[in-house]
Amino acid sequence: MNETPSDGDAPKGAYLFRIYHAAGAPNSVQALANLYAICRKHFPESYRIEVIDVLQEPLRALAEAIFVTPTVVKLSPAPEQQIIGNLSEEQEVLRALGLPQKENTSPP
Amino acid sequence: MSDKNRTTLLEKISSGIEGFDDLTAGGLPRGGTTLLMGGPGSGKTVLALQILVNGAIAHGTPGIFVTFEENARRVSANGEAFGWDMPELAREKVHFVDACLRADVVKSGEFDLTGLLAGIEVKAREMGAQLIVLDAIDVLLSLLDDPAAECRELHRLHEWLVRQELTGLLTTKIEDDQPATAQRYGFMPFLADCTVLLSQRLAERVVVRTIRVLKYRGSPHVLNEVPFVIGPAGVEVGSSNGVHPEPQPFTERVSSGVERLDTMLGGGLYRGTNALLTGSSGAGKSMLAGTFIEAACRRQERSLFISFDENSRDIARDLATMSIDLAPHLASGLLRMESIRSEAASSEEHFMRIKRLIAEQKPRCVAIDPLSALARVGGGLAARAVAERLIYVCRNAGITVLFTSLLEGLDPQLETTALHVSTLADSWIQISYALLAGERNRALSIIKSRGSKHSHQLRALIFSDQGVTLAEPGTSDGEAPAGTWRPGKENARQTEAPAAAVSARARPGKGKSA
Repeated sequence: MNETPSDGDAPKGAYLFRIYHAAGAPNSVQALANLYAICRKHFPESYRIEVIDVLQEPLRALAEAIFVTPTVVKLSPAPEQQIIGNLSEEQEVLRALGLPQKENTSPP
Repeated sequence: MSDKNRTTLLEKISSGIEGFDDLTAGGLPRGGTTLLMGGPGSGKTVLALQILVNGAIAHGTPGIFVTFEENARRVSANGEAFGWDMPELAREKVHFVDACLRADVVKSGEFDLTGLLAGIEVKAREMGAQLIVLDAIDVLLSLLDDPAAECRELHRLHEWLVRQELTGLLTTKIEDDQPATAQRYGFMPFLADCTVLLSQRLAERVVVRTIRVLKYRGSPHVLNEVPFVIGPAGVEVGSSNGVHPEPQPFTERVSSGVERLDTMLGGGLYRGTNALLTGSSGAGKSMLAGTFIEAACRRQERSLFISFDENSRDIARDLATMSIDLAPHLASGLLRMESIRSEAASSEEHFMRIKRLIAEQKPRCVAIDPLSALARVGGGLAARAVAERLIYVCRNAGITVLFTSLLEGLDPQLETTALHVSTLADSWIQISYALLAGERNRALSIIKSRGSKHSHQLRALIFSDQGVTLAEPGTSDGEAPAGTWRPGKENARQTEAPAAAVSARARPGKGKSA
């Protein structure tokens, strides 16, 4: 079920994420990698990730109330959800996204 | 060379708060980090905002205020409550950044402050900001949930401030007012160039706030704990140093409002000095204080009458029964009367309030009735220190002050005041009761009067619908004539003028109506 987006609790439609990162910062590099990995694993083909480098657009981050990097915002499906950190704790991410968390995190 | 280094090291940004600058020998370290620590409600946010606002108003120095805990709009509204024009300041001088994390935010793994610092960096450059306040930094750090990461982020912040040549003011909560036991952020004071601790505790049901500079790298600072209040205009820090320029002594005399008392004092009180008026309850201290103030108003001198625990209207009404009318002076603004409940605040707060009233009214004559009310809350020692400072404040401003003080106890020989302020008093006037011929009569005497000869007589003090006066000097047998006994005594003395006795009661010589 983790391979098919239409399965389980996940509503129809693509997952849309925006990640605010600081290019080159260790936590940010990790977060990007982790986000792509989670998306590929849980909803391949049906996700989009918008990447914003706060070092390039510092005022935008400030205006959008982004203070810690990395910050991931799930824009769709609703409701909007913010996740901060390098996404190393996958269970937390899945819970935040409303996806069922498996006892065993390793793929079948 | 090293001297040059030292001066750059010690460059300060004034806080715009007199007492705070006294404590820190000039204010915050420019280009350094200052840490404000305190328990919840200890005044960290207000103090930080006030320093930022003062800098913007006084020196046009822009600053950025980042909130991690409180909604930025609320902080701004708080500032408006203190009379600071936040909307105007927000246009270009003060920028608020609301960095409160959303309540539903989920944390997964480590994060850092790069995003925030990148944003502030650009904003600071854009507006030329010099001071950055990071309010409740502990809220953000606690999210990291890892002491090593917290330390790392603080270092990052510190390094960033240094690199940007910005002055940082960080506030953080601590528990139990114990900076040493705040293990969690034990490293913070080491990072900061200046660490300030705000505390509040209860002393006899009244909150007493204190401020203490724990450390100040490369700068002298006051080591003692100093009281402060959060008043209607923000934080006021009690001055710690008693160093004031000695005011030029006045030779001008100021009338006490009672002509015969002036004569006894050798011509009145010296301007800029203080007089202590003691007496037991009901002796008429307030009436004499009112007389003094009314005389000042008639000389067109701005005046202030502060009464503790008694409605000023009641005092004005009582005075009116003696044809001492304060109403026109109150109406014209020449006189301001303020009633203060002694138990409503600590003696320190009373002091700040009186200081504020003096600053607003700019009086030349002040009556404080009674000063002993200060001792009712917070203990005699604190109250005495406050009384002392009050006397200095007035002396430095050239204000002539009349303090009244309740005399406790029945032994008039002891003549002690609740605050033991009699040693501080320039003049000391005592109202006592004399029991004569089955009557209790008021008698006035001067115990001391610095720098001038004074009468040692005990004179009957007479309140009548014509005003306040003193009876003629005592009779040849050394007794002070008073009450109904006095006319009799006088009649016996002046058998040739028996009718004069009654009219002698009517304040002879007092030119009030003139």
